[in-house]
Amino acid sequence: MVVVKLEKAKVTCHWTWNTKDETCGICQMPFDGCCPDCKIPGDDCPIVWGPCEHSFHLHCILKWLNSRQHCPLCRREWHFN
Amino acid sequence: MPSSPARRSTRKSSSGTQKKRGSSLEGTANQVEHSSSRQQQTTSNKKPKKSSKKGEDSSKPQNLLTMFNRETSPKTNNDAEMLVTNGKLQQQNNQREPIHHSFSTPQKSSTKLVIRPLSSAPAVSKNFAEEVWTDYLKQAVKAIQNATKVTFSYEELYRKVEDICLLKLGSFLFEKLQEEVEQHVAKQINYLQGYSHEPETFLYGVNKVWEEHCNQMKLIRSIFLFLDRSFVLHNAPVRSLWDMGLKVFRKYLQQNSEVERKTVQSIIALVTAERNGESIPQDLVKDMVRMFTALEIYGESFEKAFLDASSEYYYSEGNVLLQQYDIYTYLKHVEIRLSEEVNRVIHYLDRTTKGPLIQLVENCLLESHTVEILDKGFHSMMEENRQEDLARLYRLLARVHQLDQLKKYLGIYTKNTGARIIQDPEKDNELVQLILDMKDKVDSIVCNCFGKNETFQYAVKESFESFVNMRQNKPAELIAKYIDQILRTGNKGYTEEELEGTLDKVLQFFRFIHGKDVFEAFYKKDLAKRLLLGKSASLDLEKTMISKLKAECGAGFTSKLEGMFKDIDLSQDIMKAFYESLEWKQCGNEVDLSVVVLTSSYWPQNTCGNVKLSKELLKLQSAFSRFYLNKYAGRKLTWNHSNSMCTIRANFPKGQKTISLSLYQTLVLLLFNETDALNLREIHEGIGLEMKELKRTLQSLACGKIRVLRKEPMSREVEEDDTFYFNKDFQDKRYRIKINQIQVKETAEENQQTTERVVQDRQYQIDAAIVRIMKTRKSLTHSQLMSELYEQLKFPYQPTDLKKRIESLIDREYLERDSDTPQLYRYLA
Repeated sequence: MVVVKLEKAKVTCHWTWNTKDETCGICQMPFDGCCPDCKIPGDDCPIVWGPCEHSFHLHCILKWLNSRQHCPLCRREWHFN
Repeated sequence: MPSSPARRSTRKSSSGTQKKRGSSLEGTANQVEHSSSRQQQTTSNKKPKKSSKKGEDSSKPQNLLTMFNRETSPKTNNDAEMLVTNGKLQQQNNQREPIHHSFSTPQKSSTKLVIRPLSSAPAVSKNFAEEVWTDYLKQAVKAIQNATKVTFSYEELYRKVEDICLLKLGSFLFEKLQEEVEQHVAKQINYLQGYSHEPETFLYGVNKVWEEHCNQMKLIRSIFLFLDRSFVLHNAPVRSLWDMGLKVFRKYLQQNSEVERKTVQSIIALVTAERNGESIPQDLVKDMVRMFTALEIYGESFEKAFLDASSEYYYSEGNVLLQQYDIYTYLKHVEIRLSEEVNRVIHYLDRTTKGPLIQLVENCLLESHTVEILDKGFHSMMEENRQEDLARLYRLLARVHQLDQLKKYLGIYTKNTGARIIQDPEKDNELVQLILDMKDKVDSIVCNCFGKNETFQYAVKESFESFVNMRQNKPAELIAKYIDQILRTGNKGYTEEELEGTLDKVLQFFRFIHGKDVFEAFYKKDLAKRLLLGKSASLDLEKTMISKLKAECGAGFTSKLEGMFKDIDLSQDIMKAFYESLEWKQCGNEVDLSVVVLTSSYWPQNTCGNVKLSKELLKLQSAFSRFYLNKYAGRKLTWNHSNSMCTIRANFPKGQKTISLSLYQTLVLLLFNETDALNLREIHEGIGLEMKELKRTLQSLACGKIRVLRKEPMSREVEEDDTFYFNKDFQDKRYRIKINQIQVKETAEENQQTTERVVQDRQYQIDAAIVRIMKTRKSLTHSQLMSELYEQLKFPYQPTDLKKRIESLIDREYLERDSDTPQLYRYLA
């Protein structure tokens, strides 16, 4: 006899960026935070990955890509994954 | 000038008669001339005599004779006038008439009439003036002074005076008159010397003498009017006979200083009696004061002595009453005194005395006692909220420009009272309410009693700021809790406006706090609980609060808080999408799942104890994870169950119940699906919850009001070898039951965590500020750096904290000490 049956559950969870490194290779700020130009971390300052699995703040890498088109860490050609 | 129109016309006609006489001698041709000069005189009737004379002079040379007559023979002239006054004008005219006729027809007469000048000029007797004085005027004056009947008619006397004046003997007459008046006044004042020692009687005596003197001088002046208007006006050292009278009176009064002093002392004695509450003849005092004013010695003789006496009186009254009365009565008394003195000035003193007198009273009763009054009374007035007395105090101190003192005391009172509340840990629970009440009270006092004085408002603000920050961090925490309370209960029994009003007040309090970051940390924690556990009474109210905070501290302060609301909204959208998804459909829809996904940087970090979920829940959880990570690449999810809520259906033998409880509680209950009895250790193994938390959970299930579990042995606390059973006898009237978690009572631990986090954050802020400053300045001395930091940092800190951070930055090679001057820091790029 089933005495207790779960009917409804309201649960919470946190999301964080699933990155290999703790900090952005360009600005050295943690990925939990935001790039130096932003004030609020989260969706407003997203993280992007290249084909090399390296990740940066979107705003940081966009500045870098203005001058060249490769990953600042491993110099492989950059495009957004 | 007492001349009645009747009298004036008599005089005119009399001089007219003269001219008629003269002109009739001149002949008919002059008749025209005569009438014209007469006309001239009528027109210049109201002008001074001199100008009318002049008119005669310039009129024609024929009139010279008239002039001559008038100038050289005053006797005849006078006779003529006297005749006129005696009503004999008619007769004279009749006498002249025939002559006139005889002249008007010169052609008919054969004989010529020759007119020769008088052989000797008409003259008055040498001692005419003296005779007139002794025979008539002196006697009249004496009679007036002795208040006996004047035997001569006033008209007659007036004429005598006029005669003497016209003879240019005015100075003689004036001297004689003055002598006479002096004698009399001297006698009268001497008589006053030994009059009476009783002030009132004495004053009546003085007043009588003075009044008589005035009346006599009025009458004497009327008789000597011609002298008054001619000789005295132009020559004498006084302006008028009246002035002469005053001068003489003044001279003898001052000579006889005994009388003067006694008069002044008597007046003062009467005023003092009135101040002591007796009734006095105010009119008498008024007359006496008028006398001094008229004699022009009010200032020197009376006012000074009066003010001295008043000052003495009020000085001693101030000292005595301040001991005798309490402050409220004393202030009331002072106010009454002030209005009494104003009335006194209006009723019987000279206007000029008002300023110095009032100032003196204020000075004696208030200014010199300001500190004492405030010391004795202010505190109790504030404590008992005696607004009327406070308003009076403000009014009175404003008069003597002592508001700064009052302001100081208000500041001190506010600060001390506030500090007492703030520094008493026992009052922590009601602290915010107490402070708010106090603020309300002080504000209303400033508003109602202190005339909304801005400097006072500022003083209050300043003292609030200083006492609120006497105790670090705790007030900020308590404010956050207080707001949490309001937002949880919501508008139960209150209107929106009232709630908003309360929030505004709390924010006013919040405004004084330096360490706003502490508040933010606690507020965030409480907000998280409210949002996740659905404890918030109204989302609208929450958002109002956020916007108020935003207005208060800027967007940076609330951005994370707003992010929390955004997360909640976004999670609802995600759930909608999830219910449509394949993953959800695969789960079999047996359990209603809702997930709130939080952006970790917005929310306070929670220590999430690991738990072993039931299979059912695990399945749901992984389904959601798959769905979510599919949708948002590059993220990972960390589950946090301490805030999770569940609803279960439990079949008790005595009825089915729907129970809402926490996830932990649910997991415990789910274990009992397998078996009836479990001991603590088995449960611990079963769900893997941290022991402390588990004990709390079990306590809520087995020891609370609603006991779905049975514990053996029965006790309040959960012990290591307790055994738990499913409570088969459970019954409750309600179908839906809510089992509260035993509130993880704001444990000291949790509290400390929050505070520590704040401290940590502050260290980062200090680091950032130092680097920011050094980056721009490149090199700074220690004290320069400190002062710049003081401007930038918005929370309270100790200099030692700053030094530690500087040390740490030197270690991390952001800064270096200058090798020559150790006080100098350099920024290392």
